[in-house]
Amino acid sequence: MTVLDATGRPRVGVLGGGSWGTVLAHLAASNGYPVSLWLRDPEAAAAINATHRNAKYLPDLELHPGVTATADLLAIGRDCGVILVVVPSHALRETMARLGDTLDGSHILIHAIKGIEPDSFMRMSQILLEETCCKKIGVLSGPNLAKEVALGHPSATVIASGYQEVIEAGSEILRSKAFRVYGNPDVVGTEIGGSLKNILAIASGMADGLGFGDNTKALLLTRGLAEVTRLGVGLGADPMTFSGLSGIGDLMATCFSPLSRNYQVGNRLAKGESLDAIRSDMRQVAEGVRTTKTVARYARTHGIYMPITEGIYRILYEGATPKEALSGLLDVSRNPYEGDAAKRVAGML
Amino acid sequence: MPMTPPGPNPGPLAAPAADGPIFHFNRDRDGIVDEVVDRELARVGGSVDALELALNDAAYSEITRLEKAGRRQTPELNFWRELHRTLGGKPLAEKEAIYRRLATGYARDIVGNFDLKAYRFATSVVPMGLSLIMRPQGTSRRFVNMNTTLTERVRIQGHVETLQALAKKGTVILVPTHSSNLDSIVIGWAIYHLGLPPFTYGAGKNLFTNPILSYFMRNLGAYRVDRRLTHGLYKDVLKTYSTVLLERGYHSLFFPGGGRCRSGAIEQKLKLGLLGTGLTAYINNLQRGAANPNVYIVPCTLNYPLVLEAATLIDDQLQQVGRSRYIIEDDEFSHATLVGRFIKQVLSMDVSVVIQIGEPLDPFGNRVGPDGRSYDKRGREIDLRKYVEVHGVPQHQAQRDQQYTKELGVAIADAYTRNNVIMPSHLVAFTLFQILKRRHPKLDLFKLLRLGEEASSVPLADFYRQLELLRDELLMLSEQGRIMVSGVVRKGPAEAITANALRSFGMFHAVPPLCRSDAALSAGDMKLLLFYQNRLSGYGLEALVSEEAQA
Repeated sequence: MTVLDATGRPRVGVLGGGSWGTVLAHLAASNGYPVSLWLRDPEAAAAINATHRNAKYLPDLELHPGVTATADLLAIGRDCGVILVVVPSHALRETMARLGDTLDGSHILIHAIKGIEPDSFMRMSQILLEETCCKKIGVLSGPNLAKEVALGHPSATVIASGYQEVIEAGSEILRSKAFRVYGNPDVVGTEIGGSLKNILAIASGMADGLGFGDNTKALLLTRGLAEVTRLGVGLGADPMTFSGLSGIGDLMATCFSPLSRNYQVGNRLAKGESLDAIRSDMRQVAEGVRTTKTVARYARTHGIYMPITEGIYRILYEGATPKEALSGLLDVSRNPYEGDAAKRVAGML
Repeated sequence: MPMTPPGPNPGPLAAPAADGPIFHFNRDRDGIVDEVVDRELARVGGSVDALELALNDAAYSEITRLEKAGRRQTPELNFWRELHRTLGGKPLAEKEAIYRRLATGYARDIVGNFDLKAYRFATSVVPMGLSLIMRPQGTSRRFVNMNTTLTERVRIQGHVETLQALAKKGTVILVPTHSSNLDSIVIGWAIYHLGLPPFTYGAGKNLFTNPILSYFMRNLGAYRVDRRLTHGLYKDVLKTYSTVLLERGYHSLFFPGGGRCRSGAIEQKLKLGLLGTGLTAYINNLQRGAANPNVYIVPCTLNYPLVLEAATLIDDQLQQVGRSRYIIEDDEFSHATLVGRFIKQVLSMDVSVVIQIGEPLDPFGNRVGPDGRSYDKRGREIDLRKYVEVHGVPQHQAQRDQQYTKELGVAIADAYTRNNVIMPSHLVAFTLFQILKRRHPKLDLFKLLRLGEEASSVPLADFYRQLELLRDELLMLSEQGRIMVSGVVRKGPAEAITANALRSFGMFHAVPPLCRSDAALSAGDMKLLLFYQNRLSGYGLEALVSEEAQA
């Protein structure tokens, strides 16, 4: 399968017709690539082909005519050399297991999914490696609110992969004057940063909901980034990745945007609503709620010091009130170096 | 995948090999050296920049090394200084000539030998002779064939039939864990025992100083690696030599841990340089349209209840200068009597050395079945060519291929973890060490290592309880395929496991890692204890040792 060809641009596949998948399909088509956008629902696919709009998620964006929607998953594997994967994290394994029958070693897979698989604690790229024979795998992540990218506001993203070829292909397909694509070899750091910032977005919304000011928020974000970095480095990430676009960049966009679902969950919890009540009137579960559980449990069993994640977990799942949990983070009787010192000693053995 | 059932090996597993390219190595040797040098020149020749870079780098690295070694005016040092001084002004043809001369010199230094007579001698006469010295204690037999003794004491298990089948379908690279200089002897015997032709392998040049060892290594296909030489020119010649051998179908043995593992842990950081030659050879084979292009990488673990060089290795690890003392010139292995005593004792123990053959991999880290084909994690067959084709033609791409090799390294490290066979000595050392660590939470590692006998004494009842707990967890992990355990660890009650470990330790180490009194167990040599317990690190078992052990 030819992947990149300056003259006869190969077909690009996009899996998932949510707002971000739709925008990525539009960007690729705008660069002259024929694009197949896969949606699970055949009617939704037909509607997009009829109206050139994604009425459910992005009604205001008129899609580039190069985008064709389809509900035929296997056709994507057969026709497309590069596939952007933007399905919800919990649907990834099953989708790729099916698509895997049509993939071979030449395919390039780039996912733009934020999440970690519960129990297995697997990152999305690890699931791709497990469900397909593909090796040329990458992750796209950054401060990318889909609506702003669709409006053409200047923004940037990161594609991380061990394969230069993957970064080049993804960049070639997506970059434009308003959308810059950076490369990074650190897949682990990029995935961890993108997934765990959702936990901090809940904390950020909570701080606002409790009426705390900017000091508190700055504290949560900086120390929050520190604990995300600690976990990431333990998994093999480069600490520098967390100070880049896919780390602190993404964190800032999510935590300062009141529109983010995770921020809203935190905000409403702080105002006294129960998680069940919030869940019942949100159309999609905020990814951060699931991630908090996955990460807090992992940190507990592996002895990683993550006080903010632990605090959010206690609020979401153990009935602690936001006020006591957040205040607990500032408890001076607890030596903030304790966890690290224990880890240093453990690391020597 | 079928596993060889536990139990002693049923005699030689196959008739000795009589064919394979290794048997006409000497005839091919000059051609191989020429091919290596030609390829190197094809890579850099004609390019002033590439030649100057390679030669200057070599000169700089050699001058630094020789000066550090205290040399002042040797011809070698003078040669490099002169080269360094005059290189820039020489015409291209002369630079090429110098490069060719150096590459040829290195290739000749590296190249091995194969002597059928030495092979026959080593596989038949030597075991008989050695058996006289190494007669197991307490047997009344006057002549014990060492092959028999090894057959009883060394157990080869795991994907044995697959390995044998793949050796006929392509080129095999065996990648064992490495903790002792005995490894190459044990592996060499296992290869013979499995009916495979001898494998070539790179051995540290320092090992060739022992005349007897040197005779066998040189004549059984080992080639010489001079680890003191760190410059690109030498390393490239070495890699190309390995690549050419693989392409010509010579099965090879790599120790990807790069030297013996100092800590006693199962290796996780692997050297990828030589490992990458498997992929290079595969792509070259495809480009040439070779009949059997496939290269198979077979991870295996060598599991000893005791390690001869344990004391030196862990000392080196603790001094944290493992890197600078990459080559240990003088250790237990250089004392012939010690080696003899060790072999004799290992062979007379009632425990086995276990060679666990892991599932074979392709150069991309996918698993390979007995049919020689690659399968993904969901069992779909993989068309390997697709990984390396560019516009339908197999091609080398340095960055991509490096990444493939990195993923192969991850797959090998994972295989090591899963095929690590835990013996009583490891489990007993781990249990005691972790109890002591838990009991002294404020002590850092170095203070912990200085604990006296009294401070390290643990009541037997407590010890047994913790050991059973850990053993049960190990059994669960082994059910899930994440680790393996030896028969005694699987079946024995805590008392039997502990007694077995004490017996092993007592056989060789002058100060055993642990001692037993009437009702308690205490540390003898804490450093050795650390060495043996490290074999169980990385499985998250530490957290299982609970506070209650604080008696």
